[in-house]
Amino acid sequence: MLGWEFPPFKSGGLGVHCYELTRAFASKGVEVDFYMPRTEFEMKGTTPKLIQVMPVYFGPYTAREAYGVDFMGRVMQYNMHCAEQVAKNHREKHYDLIHNHDWLTAKAGILAKQKIHRPHVMTVHSTEYDRSSLGPNQQILAIESEGVHAADRVITVSHMMKRQLTDKFGADCSRIRVVYNGVDPDKFKKKWDVKKYSKEKVVLFLGRMAEQKGPVQFLQAARKVLSVMKNVRFVMAGGGDMLPYLINYSIELGISDRVTFLGYIPESQLQDAYAKSDVYVLPSVSEPFGITALEAMSSGTPIILSKTSGVSEITTHCLKVDFWDVDKMAEYIIALLRYRVLNHTMGKYEVEDARRFSWGKAADETLKVYEELV
Amino acid sequence: MPSVCFYFQVHQPIRMRRFSIFEDNRGDPYKLYFNEKLNREVFEKVARKCYLPTNSIMLDLIHKFDGRFRISYSITGVFLDQCQEFNPKVLDSFEDLAKTGCVDFLDETYYHSLCSMFADKTEFKEQVALHTKALRSFFKCKPVVFRNTEALFTNEIAKLVEDMGYKGMVMEGFERILGWRSSNYLYSVKGCSSIKTFLRNYRLSDDVAYRFSARWWSEYPLTSEKYAAWLSRCEGPLVNIFMDYETFGEHQWEDTGIFEFLKKMPEEILKYENLDFKTPSELVALDPVGEIDVPTPLSWADIERDASAWLGNEMQRTCFRMLEGLEPMVRDAKDDKLIRIWRLLQNSDQLYYLCTKSWADGDVHKYFSPFDTPYDGFINFMNILQDLKNMLKNKVKLQEGKR
Repeated sequence: MLGWEFPPFKSGGLGVHCYELTRAFASKGVEVDFYMPRTEFEMKGTTPKLIQVMPVYFGPYTAREAYGVDFMGRVMQYNMHCAEQVAKNHREKHYDLIHNHDWLTAKAGILAKQKIHRPHVMTVHSTEYDRSSLGPNQQILAIESEGVHAADRVITVSHMMKRQLTDKFGADCSRIRVVYNGVDPDKFKKKWDVKKYSKEKVVLFLGRMAEQKGPVQFLQAARKVLSVMKNVRFVMAGGGDMLPYLINYSIELGISDRVTFLGYIPESQLQDAYAKSDVYVLPSVSEPFGITALEAMSSGTPIILSKTSGVSEITTHCLKVDFWDVDKMAEYIIALLRYRVLNHTMGKYEVEDARRFSWGKAADETLKVYEELV
Repeated sequence: MPSVCFYFQVHQPIRMRRFSIFEDNRGDPYKLYFNEKLNREVFEKVARKCYLPTNSIMLDLIHKFDGRFRISYSITGVFLDQCQEFNPKVLDSFEDLAKTGCVDFLDETYYHSLCSMFADKTEFKEQVALHTKALRSFFKCKPVVFRNTEALFTNEIAKLVEDMGYKGMVMEGFERILGWRSSNYLYSVKGCSSIKTFLRNYRLSDDVAYRFSARWWSEYPLTSEKYAAWLSRCEGPLVNIFMDYETFGEHQWEDTGIFEFLKKMPEEILKYENLDFKTPSELVALDPVGEIDVPTPLSWADIERDASAWLGNEMQRTCFRMLEGLEPMVRDAKDDKLIRIWRLLQNSDQLYYLCTKSWADGDVHKYFSPFDTPYDGFINFMNILQDLKNMLKNKVKLQEGKR
């Protein structure tokens, strides 16, 4: 498996997906070598076996345009090294299949297939259209398109993503399979088991501060809520390019004393963030899946999802809004804060609902895709 | 010899509108709370698909069999209101049926409400009285048999109904209550002196109402001949076939052959010497064969046959308690328009939309609901109830100021 990030070195859903999927594979007796960029730490004795190829110094979302770093060059180099390593290891390992994730390792997948003549599966977690606000990077689009057309099977994390691939890249729909992300429900503390020390109600946003994630809409809804309710705190967790702008925007809206920007929060604080919130909002303009929604559900925290999120295809116990419908978003937030019985009933059913989406199931479905090829 | 007793429930709710707390909420609260456009559309659609064609078939059958084909209806007040507002032809066709003398009517709450579960029974009595008055004025009849909303039944409600002068009451013929006994007899009720119960034969009723077009059903397709044969094999003095009237043409679409089934059925049934048709008013004279005891609510809905379709989760109970709690304020406000709004909100369908039961029955709830999720329904209902409460508060305050 060709990847980019792996916990604890991760910045998004891709890392979580690779980690949980390979762990589930291990319990099903599927052996995985996971290729990833070299990190500061040598990790040994892990499952899966991590093969660290070369250092890249940056994540997929951060510092892309940073001065002095030839981002694309570095990525391509990594891909080439990866493919070579795969070919070398294949001589003794005899891999059955190559599986790569997203455009970052698409080239490696294609090259490795050429070298070792094994089927190639590519999982698309997001496309350049989902990640860029100002206009997609043409180079990246080209790689994504190449990968999607070259792979023997493409896995997407939602039907929404599948449609995007067929619409925008003209991908062959018959080779695309949808495998939803999962969640480990027992990993998360339940809202009702966590003591809150403040009477303030908390509304949570958790994600990269980027246009596609809808932080602007979140702040606009916050202002609406605050026009009728006091004593509500809006917490925004996550880093990203837009952070300075958003801080300014909250001042402009006159609600800066009610908004807390936490920046990037480590895994260790994630559970508390969900469990201590009264509402979780995923207002994304474009969200291929949205694992955080499943995590909030597992915590029993009621969720409001934008209809343009992959996760909203599969959840029933939630409230769904159009990302631009700030009034309705605000109305839902108010209702969830005001009506305790609603908050509690939804939370209770969500915890049950989240159990339907296990990583074991995602692994089984991924294996089914493998079986079509080997 | 069993008499076939047909009773059809005729009802359409007045559905709520999506009410936003951010819009200008001054003005006529009726227009703000209820979705007139949707209500009109649904009514017109069902009138076209079900009420008008079915009534015309029933009228033909009654004439054809010259008094031997007899049926009964329970029509809610809100349905009659919508007839007058949206399509008076529907009301005319029911009046034509009433004039034949072969059609019986049952009483119920005017607003298809669950107010029989209120601690204070004043509202229940008033709503029943309103319904009786409406039936007298439209159909010139005075029912002697009562059917509570969704066949909701307890010993206590039966006693109340008995005290109001009714001789019979409809309920679900469910094993939980009946045990080994048959639903094809009349029974008396524990704690009551004279009222008798008509128990729905749910198997034979649902064979038509639910399974008629079910291809998975081993008896599919159901023909009038087959159905009449089943009826003729029943023991007991009566078989109660109770269902929603919308079964004809709406729940079972015309292309399932439901109308052909209906047209042929009386003839097939009357071929059997041991079968005839009678109405609840005629059958209520039969002697009860035993006593039934219903200490907790029994209804005809969902697999549980209890009140959980409307009061099963905490959201539903919260709305219901809030509705009940508004009663003193509504009465103090002395505003007919607000009383009517409060009563329209009592319509059991409004609570039905908030049901979260997720097994097979959940599908039925979803089919009928104008909301995406029960949560959506709850938010809308609560926002409207809050708004109504504020309005009532202001009204009462204003009146106190005047005094």
